[in-house]
Amino acid sequence: MDSVPETVTAALADRQVEGQVCLEAGAGVGNTTAGLLAAGAERVYAVTNDADHAAVVRERVGDGNADRLAVVEADLRSTPLSTDSVDLVTAHGLCNVLPPADLDAAAAELTRVTKPDGHLVVDDYAVPPAGAAVNRLFALENAAAQVVDGRPALTFYPPAVLAAVFADHGWTVERKKTLLEPVPWTEAHLDAHAEVVREYAEMLPDSLGEPLAAMAEDLVSAIGSERTGTMYSLAFRLAE
Amino acid sequence: METRALGDTGQESTVLTFGSIALNWLEQEGANQLVELVLDHGVNHFDVAPTYGDAELKLGPKLRQYREEVFLGCKTQEREYEGAARKIDRSLNRLGIDTIDLYQIHGLEYEDELDTITADGGALEAIREAKAAGKIDHIGLTSHGDPGLILDAIDRIDDLETVMFPLNPVVAGKDDSEYDYEAVLDRCEAEGIGTLGIKAFAKGSWPSTDELAEADRPYANWYEPVDTPAVIRERFDFAAAQGLDTVVSPGDPKLVAMVLDAASRFEGMDEARQRALIEEARHDDSPVPEQLHH
Repeated sequence: MDSVPETVTAALADRQVEGQVCLEAGAGVGNTTAGLLAAGAERVYAVTNDADHAAVVRERVGDGNADRLAVVEADLRSTPLSTDSVDLVTAHGLCNVLPPADLDAAAAELTRVTKPDGHLVVDDYAVPPAGAAVNRLFALENAAAQVVDGRPALTFYPPAVLAAVFADHGWTVERKKTLLEPVPWTEAHLDAHAEVVREYAEMLPDSLGEPLAAMAEDLVSAIGSERTGTMYSLAFRLAE
Repeated sequence: METRALGDTGQESTVLTFGSIALNWLEQEGANQLVELVLDHGVNHFDVAPTYGDAELKLGPKLRQYREEVFLGCKTQEREYEGAARKIDRSLNRLGIDTIDLYQIHGLEYEDELDTITADGGALEAIREAKAAGKIDHIGLTSHGDPGLILDAIDRIDDLETVMFPLNPVVAGKDDSEYDYEAVLDRCEAEGIGTLGIKAFAKGSWPSTDELAEADRPYANWYEPVDTPAVIRERFDFAAAQGLDTVVSPGDPKLVAMVLDAASRFEGMDEARQRALIEEARHDDSPVPEQLHH
């Protein structure tokens, strides 16, 4: 199994995970799901709306965890989970792919499924510094997403904004921690973001899509890699 | 330079240990100069081995001149009594000194070696006799091998006082038990065993000899080292921030001045930055399809 990233381990280190029913919102490739299982979670619902990600998570952590893992393919704004059924919700690198309206709807749903007095860990990126080169790639990604979907691909929320969004649903911040500073945007991360641009580009007429894809390519080689910005972790507690 | 207690040995070692293998690549005059440079930076812990070419011989003159200022570690790859006893005397002769402060079982790799070392007629018997005779002061172990084997050695050698093992951001980011040197650190911390870190400056393996002949490598190290001041400083700070008592300098003399400078400026490294280095290495190293996030 791939290693559990230090970001996940650090975010969970001071949280009660052992014996808890957990929900990983936006399971991605299963980094946090693996971290929750390794930390002794009683059960993990790995929720994702992406069938490929669901398959990756099953492949990665499904073996030997059949009784503890449920990969749930669902929209985070409306999951099949029961009300007040989860002790700990995690959202690691999730919020930045949710535009504000979706974020609020997801926050409402995650609040619904969490038990009173339950816990939430939200890990995400602060707004990258104005001069960061990666901003050019993220801006291109957002432009491509706007043209195709009419919504941005990425929204970087300052911690105070996420705190306020969840506060509206009854959550109080218990602690804040810096997970990464600087954030290492490696060649592999930039390639993954360029891939998003390419996927959007393929949905557009060639005359528009090809230059977009070429721009992404050029940006990745121009930037190479960059260390910039911070990734933070907020731990919340829900009102009783 | 910051000093730290080397486990319960009573020795306060500088956070940088001079890997004296670097002397092997220099003529005597250059070796003398390098030792002077190292001492000018306040380094008080040196490490050497009989397998490092002429390093013992080249260290000798300056070691004798400054004997009181240097805590000297030496090692043996011998696993049996006769060989180890001979190697201790040979190293003492080559170094021209009466006592080696720390004598380490060198490069433990397999469980059966540990059996041989600890059995009757094993190397440990010779090392303990040498200790009783005042030829050595403390007993240690070095290994690039399985952390589980190091833990076994700690269990089986009651008088073990230090261990030396690899630690860098690549190693620290791996969960597999074969890289779990953090468990070794924790155990040593709990038992008062001193810890020395190696491979802090490793960038990766050398290209295959088909791609780059051994004779064409630009550095003497076993591995390809990081070699710019900023990255060397970052790697030093990372290793020293992991809880090691001391970090061993790389084996190529061309890198030593940069490492001395880094160690002299060491002021710790905050955890978010340590994680950033681990994350960066994890992704650089990852053969799997990538993701958007950390």
